[in-house]
Amino acid sequence: MKQLHMLALCGFIATAHLTGSTATAQEMLSMPAATSPSPNVLIPRVQARAYFYEERQSLLEQDLRLEYGIVRDLSISLDLPMYEGFFEAPRASDGDFGLGDLEAIIELRILREDFGAVDTLRGAIFAGAELPTGTNGFGSNGVDPCLGGVLTGIFGRHGFDAAARWTFVTDESPFLPTLASTTSADFANLDLGYAFRFYPESYGEERVPAWYATLELNSLWTTSGEYDVLLSPGVLLEAPTYAVEIGLQIPISSQVDDAPELRIAALIGLRLIF
Amino acid sequence: MPLLTSARSVRVAAQYAAAASCIVTALLTACASQPATREATPDNITAHLGAVHSAPTLTPGHYALVVFGMSCPKCISNVDLQLGRIAGIVNPKVDMKHGIVTIEVPGPAEPSRDAIFRAILDAGFTLREIRTLSAAGRTQ
Repeated sequence: MKQLHMLALCGFIATAHLTGSTATAQEMLSMPAATSPSPNVLIPRVQARAYFYEERQSLLEQDLRLEYGIVRDLSISLDLPMYEGFFEAPRASDGDFGLGDLEAIIELRILREDFGAVDTLRGAIFAGAELPTGTNGFGSNGVDPCLGGVLTGIFGRHGFDAAARWTFVTDESPFLPTLASTTSADFANLDLGYAFRFYPESYGEERVPAWYATLELNSLWTTSGEYDVLLSPGVLLEAPTYAVEIGLQIPISSQVDDAPELRIAALIGLRLIF
Repeated sequence: MPLLTSARSVRVAAQYAAAASCIVTALLTACASQPATREATPDNITAHLGAVHSAPTLTPGHYALVVFGMSCPKCISNVDLQLGRIAGIVNPKVDMKHGIVTIEVPGPAEPSRDAIFRAILDAGFTLREIRTLSAAGRTQ
């Protein structure tokens, strides 16, 4: 547990030292967005999640994501999760800590239509791989390529996201918290998201933070027949220099083999902008 | 067995996709039926501003950049950062409601119009036009 907290602290400190930049526009909590950092801009994002499964088993996840703008509309991101599992055998058992697989993604924005002062429609495609950096059963031994696309639309106070991603599993997948396991089957992530800006009703000349209520439908489907569908409500506070996100993930349908079923997950996230 | 489970998985996925598309359609319809958002009124944004500035450089004075697509508070930081990289521009102020960024060009450096267009594009937005608010020696 101390290791996790120390690494989380290191993540926040690294975040503070690495950045000298801004962050992207409103993003959902648990799915990609067609947002992209400006050239030579580094964006950090730290999220902590707690997963609660049946029979009092649980998992803590600390995720550090760095996104960097290479040129206009082209960015690269690195995402490193860290886990501490409280599972019964045969999984990583009580208090076992491990790194997850490092995810490296290149994203190319292929659509940007700005219709008005606020209204915009953006689309991006991305490709990358999960690299075998996992330890203690929280990763795999293979490089797993992935590709996908995401569409983001913001119309006044309403924001929409839709994303699809396919991961080709070459050996064993990265650890998948919602399945509390890895899988040797290819899998797809399909996500839909909606955000409503409930404050301010209308922007003005003042630099006030904006509050959003978000609702996502996150799903994962493996070619071996396992799946889970999660309903994810949340709240996002976004200011010019920081963003805070809090949310839940509630399973509404799942088919998981030989693994504890997820009951609920909670997350809190922070983005700092200097 | 894997084929059977895959078929079930695909069937369930199709059901959820259908349900999700219904929800998205309903939401989009609801949004489309709303009156135009207060922020998104491009036709009257520029009515009270000065003339369109079309010269290749900006001489000392105050200018309004009409910018589309700034949809969240962090957009302000993006615009600040990118405009801050251009020599000769100071004190940018963002009015998100109307999509207007006012800037001051104190001189003697005269930033180019192209550099400003590129900066706004790099920030992730669209610069529709530059309007002159006041130039040295005159006010509009």
